[in-house]
Amino acid sequence: MTQKTVENATCTFCGCVCDHIGLQAEGDRIVKTKRACGLGEAWFKNHTAEDCYPDALVDGKPATVDEAVEAAAEHLYQANMPLVYGLSNTTCEAQRNAVALAEWVGGVVDSHTSL
Amino acid sequence: MLRITGGRVYDPANEVDGEVRDVCISGGRIVEEVTGADVRTIDAAGMVVFPGGVDVHTHVAGGALNFARAMTPENHRNAAKFTHSPELRAGVGGTTPSTFATGYLYAGLGYTTVNEAAVPVLSARHTHEELRDTPLVDKSCCVLMANNELILDLLEEGETERAKHLLAWHLWAAKGYGVKAVNPGGVTAWKWGKDAKILSEPVPGYSKVTPAKIISSMAAMVDELELPHPMHLHCNNLGAPGNIDTTIETMKVLDGHRAHMAHLQFHSYGGDDWDTLRSESVRLAEFFNEQPNLTADAGAILFGDSVTITADGPWQHLLYQLTGRKWGNLDVENETGCGVVPYTYKGTNMVNAVQWAVGLELLLLINDPWRIYLTTDHPNGACFWRYPEIIHLLMNADFRRECIEKLPDKALKRIHLPGIDREYTLSEIAIIISAGPARALGMPQKGHLGVGADADVVLYNDDSDRERMFGHPRYLLKGGEVVVEEGDIRKMVDGREFIVRPSYDDNIEEYLRPLFEQYYTMSFENYPVEMERLEGADIRECG
Amino acid sequence: MGGKVTCTLGEVKNRADFIIYWGGNPADCHPLHFSRYTLIPKGKHVPEGRKGRTMVLVDVRETPSAKHADILLQVKPGKDFEVITTLRALVKNQPVDAARVAETGLTLEQLQDFVDRMKNARFGVLFFGMGLSMTRGKHMNSAAALALVAELNAYTKFVSMPMRGHGNVTGADVVMRWTTGFPFGVSMSRGYPRFNPGEFSTIDVLVRGDNDATLVLGADPGATMPQPAIDHLARTPTIVLDPKVTHTSRLARVHITTATTGISAPGTVYRMDEIPLPLKPILESPYPTDEEVVHRILEKVKEKPAWTPASYKEVPCA
Repeated sequence: MTQKTVENATCTFCGCVCDHIGLQAEGDRIVKTKRACGLGEAWFKNHTAEDCYPDALVDGKPATVDEAVEAAAEHLYQANMPLVYGLSNTTCEAQRNAVALAEWVGGVVDSHTSL
Repeated sequence: MLRITGGRVYDPANEVDGEVRDVCISGGRIVEEVTGADVRTIDAAGMVVFPGGVDVHTHVAGGALNFARAMTPENHRNAAKFTHSPELRAGVGGTTPSTFATGYLYAGLGYTTVNEAAVPVLSARHTHEELRDTPLVDKSCCVLMANNELILDLLEEGETERAKHLLAWHLWAAKGYGVKAVNPGGVTAWKWGKDAKILSEPVPGYSKVTPAKIISSMAAMVDELELPHPMHLHCNNLGAPGNIDTTIETMKVLDGHRAHMAHLQFHSYGGDDWDTLRSESVRLAEFFNEQPNLTADAGAILFGDSVTITADGPWQHLLYQLTGRKWGNLDVENETGCGVVPYTYKGTNMVNAVQWAVGLELLLLINDPWRIYLTTDHPNGACFWRYPEIIHLLMNADFRRECIEKLPDKALKRIHLPGIDREYTLSEIAIIISAGPARALGMPQKGHLGVGADADVVLYNDDSDRERMFGHPRYLLKGGEVVVEEGDIRKMVDGREFIVRPSYDDNIEEYLRPLFEQYYTMSFENYPVEMERLEGADIRECG
Repeated sequence: MGGKVTCTLGEVKNRADFIIYWGGNPADCHPLHFSRYTLIPKGKHVPEGRKGRTMVLVDVRETPSAKHADILLQVKPGKDFEVITTLRALVKNQPVDAARVAETGLTLEQLQDFVDRMKNARFGVLFFGMGLSMTRGKHMNSAAALALVAELNAYTKFVSMPMRGHGNVTGADVVMRWTTGFPFGVSMSRGYPRFNPGEFSTIDVLVRGDNDATLVLGADPGATMPQPAIDHLARTPTIVLDPKVTHTSRLARVHITTATTGISAPGTVYRMDEIPLPLKPILESPYPTDEEVVHRILEKVKEKPAWTPASYKEVPCA
């Protein structure tokens, strides 16, 4: 099984965003964390890279990512007022793309801040 | 390939003063000649041809400006709107425009290069992310150093050489272009709610480090590192009545070292308090004229809404107390701070009227246009997109007199502007908005139209209403691509980012690491900005 | 009055001798906050660490954070605004009504002592959590807390910081501000950004049924939102990008599994004090990242005939 370690990894679980975490992985899961808090350790250990979910679902049925991307684009394009929401547990790069998408489809873009 | 023909060319760096001649472009650069069937010709008859504008001092990206955006959504509601199209991203203008709008608004003046003047190392990653989303202009950044406590600690111990290596390391870590000094010692004092107002007195928390020592040592470091841009200096006592003495003292302390004096308007006041405030532009200009080591930008103000954003935290607290308006403050660990206060300059207010006059007076009284540049310290004195108003004031003494007549009487005896008849020529305008700042930034490919220069070219209608003329370029070429055509922005192109790699002793990292781990709250490895984050980086090796 | 007087977390570590947590429970929700950033570490100007600092916890109940506090001020639920307003008056030596103070669950002596300590601090900081910003008074409470701190600067150095949860919600604010000019709740329906909380905030939009499709990423509103909002998500086409099949995925028309942020997906996130940090993913995911999937959806949209927004001037005025 492949082993890998990363030092100074960044934990995204809470707003502290601690970036001094040591990680050790075996295969497709993290087996050890250093310097993480209880929440961080659980976060790292509970998210594996296993292939345990369907790539995509369209109308409840398994689909390819291409099909799902096509369906998503069509729904958002056809909508008069689409909403892009969330943006918390994701990267700034994805957020940046999400704003661009909202702009292209003429929708609303919003985050957890408005709650 | 492209040929601009029939226009009157103003290229002061190459001593071209309004001659009708062709400008040829190929491969993004100015070339001697272009031939062949695929050469596009732009008929510039009736137009003047300038090198693209260069803003030597502006605040358009990064943590402080983005903080101001959060604080002033009301300023965006009635601002210019930029509507989405397949070619252009949407945006809003106003006092703190969104990044895409910033690019459009600069292009809408004929500007093609901007220098973001205040970047903390700790959040430099953020600044670069925003600059990547600022289209149509090339960019550079000045990195805040004069309140970096790790550097000041070394100055306290007399370890100037090591301090220089540390400064160089930080500049590269931030992927910056120049060194910025803001209120040297005063920002770190502000972390205890204090200021550093007297150049010869120790900075709170230090016994040997004075503002004077920071200024002179840091200017010397920048010179020794052979950075293309001199130390970019925001003097102590910004905005305060009587600060002329500090400003002149600062120039003396520099003792022949190069420096760029930022937003000089805010540092040229006499008087003892707000009631006795007066212009000291004559005294300042006379002294400055004799200092060939120095350049400056005006930091002019215009009446209307602005947002003041500066690393000068103590000044912003005072401004908040004076105005009773919103106040934002963001101290950055070990490095710097910033304050944000919305402000409205009023033509009926005596202090604001004096400030308005001082900015123009400095531009008119400093006799070498190669050493004084047009800025408003955007968005502090006014928004950059109002530069054409200032150009009109500089070029038309009659219009200036009309404006002076509207000032409050009690301001008139405190200013020198009514007695100044000078009018700028087009060639001098080309110097203060392009050729001069490009030279001060040490960017040989900018600010001129000689062979080999970047093909950043702007065509304006020759219009006696200079405000309309400079606010509505007919054509703008960025790196040889036509981005503004018949007054409309036609496409978005990405700009480059200029950065420097100064030489430093690699061992400095071993000195820094344990201190960093003790005093900072992020991992040392995650501190430097990764090279991959910059799109189109143009690296200059120094020293 | 408005704005925010704040700093990065290292300033607190290096300088703060007086730390207030109000309406938050970092011991459970931000477990490393005390030890890495604020209370416990030795700072440049607080070399004695914990011993050099005083911590006050203000909350409606005694949470596990209380054992870290030197002083616990237990406020009656819903009375935070009244307490802050009283503190603002006491800071300025204004008279206050003792009977009204009693309604807050605290005594005038306690509050006067609190104010004296704040004013005598060398460097004070107020962290406020959702117990202040999401309870009765909501953003009015936050605004009052921010004003209190700003006003304290007439006497000493004082800063404040919201204790933001949810990983990179800070990044969402930051990115939206630079791309659109506004921090959240932005409508692009006229082709340019407009900001109007209440009109363009998600719960309002969903509960009113204003929108007719939703893309959800980095959130699971199906598990947390009011039922009418969830009903609307189920009624209209909803698309979910998430590392797991979530509650929202189950009511969505489209779900796409994506790589987990920071574990498998690279990029940038912002800390609560708006410091950007790089991610260092360790596991290679079989799934694409959010960044990539949103980009692919955008590219598909771009292939369709361009939607042209109505000109601003053509929108009829009522």
